[in-house]
Amino acid sequence: MSGHDFHPLVKQLLDGDITLADLPAELRAEGEDALRLLAAVDRTDVSVPAVTWRVMAALERRRRPVLPWLLAPALALAAALILWILPAKPATPAALVTVRFVLVAPEAREVSLAGTFNQWDAHATPLVRTGPTGVWTATLTLPAGQHQYAFVVDGVRWVPDPGAPAVDDGFGRRNSVLTL
Amino acid sequence: MIIALVTLPLSLLGMQQQGGAGIAARLAGRVSPEVAALVVELGTAASARGLPVDPLIQKAIEGGAKGVPSERVAAAVRLVVLELDTAALALREGGVVSDTLVIAAGEFAITAGLSGNDITALARTGASPSALTVGLRVAGTLAAIGVPSAEDIGLISSKLRSGEPAADLLSLPAVIQSEVARGTPPAQAAAGRRRGTRNLLRTRRLRRTPRLRHILR
Repeated sequence: MSGHDFHPLVKQLLDGDITLADLPAELRAEGEDALRLLAAVDRTDVSVPAVTWRVMAALERRRRPVLPWLLAPALALAAALILWILPAKPATPAALVTVRFVLVAPEAREVSLAGTFNQWDAHATPLVRTGPTGVWTATLTLPAGQHQYAFVVDGVRWVPDPGAPAVDDGFGRRNSVLTL
Repeated sequence: MIIALVTLPLSLLGMQQQGGAGIAARLAGRVSPEVAALVVELGTAASARGLPVDPLIQKAIEGGAKGVPSERVAAAVRLVVLELDTAALALREGGVVSDTLVIAAGEFAITAGLSGNDITALARTGASPSALTVGLRVAGTLAAIGVPSAEDIGLISSKLRSGEPAADLLSLPAVIQSEVARGTPPAQAAAGRRRGTRNLLRTRRLRRTPRLRHILR
């Protein structure tokens, strides 16, 4: 209402505190003018979606310099990096199974066991000779799963377990198989 | 962001090299430098394809421990990679999004004499990855005992479909082997077990039919 300096009573009229009839006679003309001016004010509803659209358009204009084509691949690569870095799901602790290995080798001076469970180390798991009959035994606790192994007789001769199924080892010999 | 884009491939490459260093560390002193270099190369590529690396390392270590010449170890390691690829493909064809354990189990089954089609058939049973892993290991072990693939896959498929616990599956090789030791042909021993599973499934189905429940009690 710049340009209009109404009487305080007229301002009360505009505020709805009093009616035109409450005004003194000398102020009624001024009050009517004020009401006419008020009625002429544009009361079209403000469209919130329109405002939203204008705000979003402004934001879009501001965003353009950030190279939008770079954003999607960067996010994808970041996600790939996170997946790569994240530690693998901790493996469920494998159940342990106790297994007794037996080999009859009366002529042997020493017998050991080598396999996937001891990195094929021919000296890691020696068998014990039980009695004079040449029966060699070892008892191991192994994780459940698949194991391949062989006996190593006198440190040089690789012998599959005669009591277990065997598969080709890829080197012209056979590995025994243990499925726990 | 541009810095991130530049550094990301480098850091990924660095991590790959770390993986290669891990393989090299496991092989150090166990195989010749040529074999170690080959396993690092094949292992890094296999890992990028989602294949397990451990079977390659194990085969190389096994060859070194057995005193096998380097070129023969290299050939055996290459064969393992081929078998892993075959197993992974067969599992995918069977609709299984395979993890490294299932693929390694499939590779063992192939080593034992089963085919990619056999693996696909087992994958199509709809068994969970852990059950399928056990199924493949047991199927491979039965093949090693001498059970023909048709009977082998038929038996393991029926066991997987019936949802039998892993412990029951794992007991199969010992059971079949003891029957074979008593003179039963491997195929016949496996067929007998399969009939047993079929009867079990039939009984379960009947038990679900209320009208027949009282007969079975």
